[in-house]
Amino acid sequence: MSPLEFHDLTVSYRQKPVLYGIDACFPTGALVGIVGPNGAGKSTLLKAGMGLVPMSSGWVRFFGEPLAKVVRRVGYVPQRNAVDWDFPVNVRDVVMMGRYGRLGLFRRPGKLDRRIVEDSMERMGIGNLGSRQISELSGGQQQRVFLARGLAQQADLYLLDEPFAGVDAATEEAIVVLLRELKQQGRTVVVVHHDLGTVERYYDHVLLLNMRLIGFGPTQEVFNVENLRQAYGGQLNVLSRLALQRARTTEG
Amino acid sequence: MSLLGDALSHAVLPGVALGFLWNMNKDPWTLFAGAVLAGLFGTWVVGLLTRRTVLKEDGALALVLSGFYGLGVVLLGVIYLIPGARAAGLQNYMFGQAAALSHQDVWLMAVVASLILVVLALFYKELLLNGFDSNYARSLGIPAAILEKLIWLLLAFAVVSALQSVGVVLVSAMLIAPAAAAYLLTKRFHIMLLLAALIGMFTAWSGSLISYVGSSLPTGPFMVMCAGLVFVVALFAAPQDGIISRWRMARNRQLDSRRENLLRAIYLLWEHYGEGTENFSVDDLERRSSLKVPQLRRQLRAFARSRLIDWPSEDQQTFSLTAAGWREARLIVRKHRLWETYLQQAARFPDDHVHADAEIMEHFLDETELQRLERRLGYPKVDPHGRSIPEVHPNLS
Amino acid sequence: MNSEVFIEVFRDPWLLEWRSSLLLVSMGWLVAIACGWLGVMLLLRRIAMMGDTLSHSLLPGLVIAFLITGSRATWVMWIGALVAAGVTIVLIELIQRYSRIKADAAMGVVFSFMFALGVILITLFSRQIDLDADCVLYGELLYLMVEPGVHWMGVTLPPAAWLRMVVIAALVIVFILSLYKELLASAFDNDWAGSAGLPNRFTHHTLMAILSLTIVSAFEAVGAILVVAMLVFPGATALLHCRRLPLVLAATSFHSLVISLAGFHLSIWLNVSMAAAMATVAMLWMISIWSGQKIKSKKKDNLTCAT
Repeated sequence: MSPLEFHDLTVSYRQKPVLYGIDACFPTGALVGIVGPNGAGKSTLLKAGMGLVPMSSGWVRFFGEPLAKVVRRVGYVPQRNAVDWDFPVNVRDVVMMGRYGRLGLFRRPGKLDRRIVEDSMERMGIGNLGSRQISELSGGQQQRVFLARGLAQQADLYLLDEPFAGVDAATEEAIVVLLRELKQQGRTVVVVHHDLGTVERYYDHVLLLNMRLIGFGPTQEVFNVENLRQAYGGQLNVLSRLALQRARTTEG
Repeated sequence: MSLLGDALSHAVLPGVALGFLWNMNKDPWTLFAGAVLAGLFGTWVVGLLTRRTVLKEDGALALVLSGFYGLGVVLLGVIYLIPGARAAGLQNYMFGQAAALSHQDVWLMAVVASLILVVLALFYKELLLNGFDSNYARSLGIPAAILEKLIWLLLAFAVVSALQSVGVVLVSAMLIAPAAAAYLLTKRFHIMLLLAALIGMFTAWSGSLISYVGSSLPTGPFMVMCAGLVFVVALFAAPQDGIISRWRMARNRQLDSRRENLLRAIYLLWEHYGEGTENFSVDDLERRSSLKVPQLRRQLRAFARSRLIDWPSEDQQTFSLTAAGWREARLIVRKHRLWETYLQQAARFPDDHVHADAEIMEHFLDETELQRLERRLGYPKVDPHGRSIPEVHPNLS
Repeated sequence: MNSEVFIEVFRDPWLLEWRSSLLLVSMGWLVAIACGWLGVMLLLRRIAMMGDTLSHSLLPGLVIAFLITGSRATWVMWIGALVAAGVTIVLIELIQRYSRIKADAAMGVVFSFMFALGVILITLFSRQIDLDADCVLYGELLYLMVEPGVHWMGVTLPPAAWLRMVVIAALVIVFILSLYKELLASAFDNDWAGSAGLPNRFTHHTLMAILSLTIVSAFEAVGAILVVAMLVFPGATALLHCRRLPLVLAATSFHSLVISLAGFHLSIWLNVSMAAAMATVAMLWMISIWSGQKIKSKKKDNLTCAT
């Protein structure tokens, strides 16, 4: 049973389509990068999947079920700027939120939850920041907190929205290590990714997107010049052109 | 920032009290000055709180609104206890009774209104740009910060001069409701201004009328009720964005697509019967169409009326297409199949998605779009499902 | 302030009439705690103006409930308030869904319309109604002194309004503690909380229902506009200096006590309504906490510069 399947997913904003007829069936244990130009609808794809954006047609299944039935098996990690970092909570409080979905109404976190929270923080290298107020964190640390909260959810499928945006090199490395670990544990990870230069190193599957699905499959098959040109059209910037050249050389 | 007016109208109370304390009488000009200053100070505090603390705009507004108001009530209480202070009726300043206005008050209001009009006329361009995108305005060298202060000042003037006629609680309604109604009715800024003013005038007039006719009824609440009713009317009946016109548009679209779908169904039936068929059985159509029987019959009657089909009487089990009917049907099917072909060839959609999309899109394609599509596809003869694409005028080709 | 006034304002209330003083201060504290705890939630959700909106739009609900039943019993007022709050929230959500009007403008239109309706109803039926618009607007804690105590099993308990406020404060505290996770997560990131399976709509609507009950119960004590002060000031003051939600709630309770105690003495000194005095004190207290913090952080800056 595929952990995540889109069928004919269409999302429109004020009658203008943002995503159009997306079909994708993600294999279990894949580490997928969603790649495409700005405004291609990458984040919207994840949000539509999580039911945060209404879709005008199509359906999404998680593990063959609608999201509400398997919500505990899915971990969504939104973009860092989605929240107010002045909020009166510390790092441990935020990571503990990852346990809330499993606890249900009126139940308080127990010993097990606290241990999982400490483990998650440890894995993201923020074990010593537990009682730090979140407004005192750097961008990279904020991202680690969000990922630790995701880990505490103990999901089988993770959807990460631009986790690499604006983080330091050490954090980027830590996230890559985390992604590989998750994959080794047989979990499926879907990441909205911006930097074309690192796609081949980070992901084993790629989903190329620009309003429509341009290509989806193992990285070496899909991440090629023709598809990139189709996805990015004329608007490839310098960095992306570099990546394109590399793609060309690896092909040739 | 719609609720800024609400916060402002409460925040002026301590200013009114201090204006009274200044020379111990109800001189409208001192009260006015005190109120405007308190309002401006309150606006400044809202900005200060949002910039300098963890509090957000909503919190800052609520704090200023209630804190200033509480201070005002305390000051009024103190004033009432001062022996010899002729403070009676000072609370009218906050709760409004248009009938109790003096000539001086009316003059004051006239001055304020014309001042606002003059400023709006002078700075129309700049205000429009600033309201739309203040960063862009700044990049063009428009002093956005000064403009903002100017708007605050105007707002404070308007609020304070309106306080006495409609009262503190309802000032924000008069600030928001006419403008919101105008916002629904048009998208052009200058028409919006004009409409807001007209709606404001109308509601003020009708509210006063009701309050005058029914003796001893308060003016303010009736003005607000009228403004609210105008807003509700705009919400439903606005020409483009109104709930009714949106519903009608959806309904028309549905009727159009029902009409086109039925014509296509007739054409498909013709393809099914084999070429040369002239008469179509209503029963067969009922079986093959997705429409419910009464809807289908109603649509057929409409076709008969507009001479698309020949159907002498309803009891008759068969009908035939007229020349106009044939042309329409061929056009519809042609559109549908061209669009399907386009989706599959140019956009590389899988087969099973093509049909649903074509059903939606065919209703939106016009003649020129269609020709462009044909050219792009190289004038295809068959669609992805292998069915022929009909010509609209078979005799001419 | 000479010593005579000092004695009259600060000593006499506790020496001569300690019973009623205690009653008033505790009532003020209960109102401020119930409102303050809810206010923290409103501030964190950025809907603090919802307190102002609801406090005005409940009026027609109260009037209509009174006109239908002819009684001012607590449960009648509570039902009227809940219905009016429901109507308000539905109207706001409808306007937002079906037009381009933004949330704050929708709130402004709806609450002023509802309030105007309430005032008109009161004026039209003023003969049947002893609901005083002034009372709803200002409120007066001193009414407590006039109200007789409740007799129950041979014991004389404090007046019914006081007991009601105890129930409301307890309800608010129990609500916030038992839905703590849901409130915290959805205020922090509503979308994420929904994606993690937390019942956002249930949380929000329960919060609104309890808010409207609290506002109605606080009406007679502090009035429609000053209830907003009680909603935002204790919480906002706590948010200025606390970094974790449990601390924020604890500090809110403390600030509430300060506000009601100081407000009580200020109202005696100036002979003004206690509600308005509490709002004024709340503002002064917040300003002093804020400036205290500024001075502290400036000192810290100087120290770091020096080293």
